[in-house]
Amino acid sequence: MNVLVALRLVPDVSGEIEITEDEKDIDREWLDLRLNEFDDYALEEAILLKERGDAKVTAIAIAGDGVERMLQSALARGADEAVKIAWEGDAPPSSRTAARLFAAGARDLSADLVLTGVLSSEETYGQLAPFVAAALDWPCVSSVNEVRVRAGVCEVVQELSGGATATIRMATPAVAGMQTASRPVRYVSGSKLREAAGRNIPTLQLSVEAADERAERLRVSLPDSSQRANLLPSDVNAAAAALRQILTEHGLWKA
Amino acid sequence: MTVSGAFLLLLLFGASCLFALRASRLFAPIRMTARAQRFDRPGLRLAGLARAIGLHERLLQIRFAGIVHILIFTSFLVLASAIVQSFGAGLAPGFSLRPVGGDSWLAWLQDVFAVVMLTGVALAAWQRYVLKPDRFRGSNTTDATVIYLLIAAIVGGMLLEAALSIVAGTSASAAWRPVSRSIAALLSATGLSAAAAARGAAAAGWVHVCAILAFLVYIPGSKHRHMVLAFANVYFRDLKPKGELAPPEAPSASLHPLSWKDALDLYSCTECGRCQAACPAYAAGQPLSPKLLIMDIRDWATARGEGERGPLIGGAVSRETLWACTTCRACMEVCPVHIEHLPKIVDLRRMLVDAGDVDPLLQSALTNLQRSGNSMGQASKMRARWTRGLPFKIKDARKEPVDVLWFVGDFASYDPRVQETTRKVAIALSEAGVDFGILYDGEQNSGNDVRRAGEEGLFQTLAQRNIETLAGCRFRRILTTDPHSFNALAQDYRQLGARFDVVHYAQLLLELIEAGRLRLKPAAGQTVTYHDPCYLGRYNGGFDAPRKVIALAGYRLREMGRCRENSFCCGAGGGRIWADDSGVKERPSENRIREALSLGDASLFVVACPKDKVMYKSAVEALGVDDRIEVRDLIELVEVASSS
Amino acid sequence: MGNVLVFVEERDGEIAPTSREALGAARTFAAGVGCQVEAIVLRAEAAPRPIEAPGADVLLCVTHPTLANICPEAALAVVESVVRQREPAAIVFTYDAVGLDLASGLAMRADRPLLSHVIGFAVQAGQIEARSQAYGGKAIVESRAAFPVVLTLMPGAFKEAAGRAAPEIVELEPPERLDRLRTEFVAETRQDTSGFDLTVAEKVVCIGRGAADESTLALARGLAATLGAEIAGSRPIVDKGWLPKERQVGKSGRKIKPKLYLALGVSGAPEHLEGMSGAELIVAVNTDPSAPIFGVAHYGATVDLGAFAIALGAALKAGA
Repeated sequence: MNVLVALRLVPDVSGEIEITEDEKDIDREWLDLRLNEFDDYALEEAILLKERGDAKVTAIAIAGDGVERMLQSALARGADEAVKIAWEGDAPPSSRTAARLFAAGARDLSADLVLTGVLSSEETYGQLAPFVAAALDWPCVSSVNEVRVRAGVCEVVQELSGGATATIRMATPAVAGMQTASRPVRYVSGSKLREAAGRNIPTLQLSVEAADERAERLRVSLPDSSQRANLLPSDVNAAAAALRQILTEHGLWKA
Repeated sequence: MTVSGAFLLLLLFGASCLFALRASRLFAPIRMTARAQRFDRPGLRLAGLARAIGLHERLLQIRFAGIVHILIFTSFLVLASAIVQSFGAGLAPGFSLRPVGGDSWLAWLQDVFAVVMLTGVALAAWQRYVLKPDRFRGSNTTDATVIYLLIAAIVGGMLLEAALSIVAGTSASAAWRPVSRSIAALLSATGLSAAAAARGAAAAGWVHVCAILAFLVYIPGSKHRHMVLAFANVYFRDLKPKGELAPPEAPSASLHPLSWKDALDLYSCTECGRCQAACPAYAAGQPLSPKLLIMDIRDWATARGEGERGPLIGGAVSRETLWACTTCRACMEVCPVHIEHLPKIVDLRRMLVDAGDVDPLLQSALTNLQRSGNSMGQASKMRARWTRGLPFKIKDARKEPVDVLWFVGDFASYDPRVQETTRKVAIALSEAGVDFGILYDGEQNSGNDVRRAGEEGLFQTLAQRNIETLAGCRFRRILTTDPHSFNALAQDYRQLGARFDVVHYAQLLLELIEAGRLRLKPAAGQTVTYHDPCYLGRYNGGFDAPRKVIALAGYRLREMGRCRENSFCCGAGGGRIWADDSGVKERPSENRIREALSLGDASLFVVACPKDKVMYKSAVEALGVDDRIEVRDLIELVEVASSS
Repeated sequence: MGNVLVFVEERDGEIAPTSREALGAARTFAAGVGCQVEAIVLRAEAAPRPIEAPGADVLLCVTHPTLANICPEAALAVVESVVRQREPAAIVFTYDAVGLDLASGLAMRADRPLLSHVIGFAVQAGQIEARSQAYGGKAIVESRAAFPVVLTLMPGAFKEAAGRAAPEIVELEPPERLDRLRTEFVAETRQDTSGFDLTVAEKVVCIGRGAADESTLALARGLAATLGAEIAGSRPIVDKGWLPKERQVGKSGRKIKPKLYLALGVSGAPEHLEGMSGAELIVAVNTDPSAPIFGVAHYGATVDLGAFAIALGAALKAGA
């Protein structure tokens, strides 16, 4: 079975973030780029399928800064092939154009299953997995924790709220939006990464009808801070003492 | 040749064959690789060997045991002549050592050293069975017992033979054998006849010889191999600087062939346990004893030779054992036969890392390092954020030439508990007029601990990046506040062709103080103790500069028992600071603080490493003794004129 | 101009709370635009009792055997068909596993704008301006889109609608696509409550990504023990295997309402907040002062986690 994993680089927002002067975007100057966490799980799940003997894995991403290195590390992780989709624009493609590009890639590479992360931090205008599925007219299930495949069939476990899950079967070709992988993401040693750093990533030329987001981004801002928590003192010991007092007052700690 | 001579020859031949067979079983199964180029600089090697044997330096670290060893060792040398005598006389009638004093002063020496030997063995047995030092825990007691008995039989046989010869009147050296004469006198008193004595002497002679042959056959399977192997092991020791770790043989070798030097290490081990006693992981209750590690690998290798195919990692040696090591090198520092524990641990870790077999916390740290060049997972671009709030702008060494390029290090840059100290160093340097700069976000983790955690590929990547960045800078020296960075820059990076003049900030502070460019805070006559960081002290010999600074500052220094080369690691090195410590019974850092407190009058615990600052501060708080002792970095002894 | 369509989810025969909120939001929309609220309900067979959809003026029912359980393809086909028939001004979903698939799928297939993670909006003639959460809740994106628009709403951001007079019930024909589906529901499992149950813990210490190193993890465990609290983790912690799934707090883990919730190094992404925002006393420690967790915490501190854990442990153990 041909499994295609769509990977995206997103800004690493685990630290503090700032907004640009014109309030149109977050300030990316101080942010590192990293592989979208959910796409990372999608790659891991694909590799697990491959290890079970059921799949051949191709990692695919849209060309841009840092994408080549990301695809090389996907190879180091165990992907059989990696390919980048040519993109000439100054700005990255809109989420719908990106979806169409990935969809075209899936057709071009005769994919049976497309895996990608269920969400990325930059998806205000739509999620990639269902977009790609719609462009291809393939079935799609999001929030998936586990994928199993057999000839012509893909069975997934979808995570619902409160820890409940639903097992759903799709006839391939199909799309799944991964929330986590069946196992934690494995470690890839530096020596494997170095080996992969020399590998060439072929480029795929695809032409699709561009589509904009269909919505206009007006402004980006930081959340309203008027509902801030009461701040404890900035000295660690004073803060601890203050909290102890608060806990005692709430009957949560007996002195 | 007489009948008995022929019989002796047969026995000798048989024993030699058995010896050779048993010895060959040790080395044959271990594939010998070309690794370990240890044939260089024979002069230096011999000199070191002579010193090790002649001075018994490491053995005498434990005075009692060292003296016992001297007794036994010297006796062996002297009594070797008795072995030559017995076999020579047994095989070739008429053979005699008379020309070399065999009936005179040599005989006297033999007699006297027989007593010395028996005394040594008795003391050794007393130490082992009565004193029962903890370092022997896990060592093979049966082996020791057999050796004591065999030696007793050999020496006893020799003395008896001599004594009985004297009674029989056949001894040529009676005048020179005081001990044997005394025994002879006792025997005569029992009414023993000369003829019976002659027969007894012959019998004792056979006991003597057979015990020797039994010993010969026994040696290959016993820790007493070290009698032969130790010389070789010390000769072939690693002459590279301590801080330089050898790269792996093949980029990602999945098979682990032990080299001949590894085999030599394993079979030279005497199970003395000095390494175990020095190991901070062992003291913390973790499943690592360097001694048991060597013994386990040795037993695995031997079993392999006998056809067993059990795994090494996960079988003979557990993962927890391998990951418990802090790479402090205390084990290698104290080993009398110069066994190299550390490279074996690192090599095995390399195998695990290559297979992706690392625990989640370490994986997280390594992934962060892969992604953003620091283990904290913070943005690489935030590295120099600690400089915010300084009253001046630190030069960017990538853009302009500087005299001193300050390689700050991960912890000093990112950890809020340490940033204050880093700022103080910056202010001190500025006030002393030092022309310095930093690499800002061009700096990456130096890779010292990454390499020792077994992630060689990542180390190479980090090192290469740092070297490239440094290649674009103009500077005279590199300054580090972190001994781990110091070690990587000064030692490991040389393998990649980069030679830097690296100075630790204790040294620079000393220079500045002596030149009058920095003032020291007036000490209130306090008594302090100083902790030698592993990578500054034991690894790189940097013991004196911090002590001089402390002395110049007017403090009274009280040394802890485990100081200088014997300093006791804080427990953070080798990737341990990125690891799960749920197996720890007592943290090494707490053990150390208690050692400092036991001095009685030291109110300050002075450190010169950011990880030490973090570990010991935690330890003081965890023990609840912050009213009795305070952890201070070396920079805090320095007065900064306009300090806030 | 068309009405506002709300996709209503039912669990165990009852309308889901998030769908009540969606209906509430739809009422606001309808009031602003001057239209009605239509609720889409999917069933396998005729309901034994009236379907609840407080706030809806019209109930659009589609009945087909394949709609008995969750089947994304079936639901999407139905919604697409209903949208074609009813030509609404807006279609409203909730941000959850089901809504994610439907909203984006519909938006792409029907070529309509989609605004996701919405926490508030204002409508004018023919267009909507909405505020969406982005970057793990650390930023707000304001967007404008013309009708017809698809919206995905964040749980907890909108108030439920009050009941109205019984809605008009309209039965719609299921689309013929339902007879040639390529997706099949197999089984559903509920949370196994026989094992460890985090929801009964009165005090919880939860660690997040910011507590990700050796000393802090151990300190958090120690602190939990001192407090008599259970240790829990946010999703990234559980995904990495550091804590078992039963101790995960959040949208895809447990939703808990303890008396005390101490969050160490938790950033407060919306998915996590869903799991604990109802706690009685929330205290958050995070070195990032702009972490979203501070928006729901009662008390906060931006001090170093490790130092704080030690200090708190010491303060608790010391006498009065």
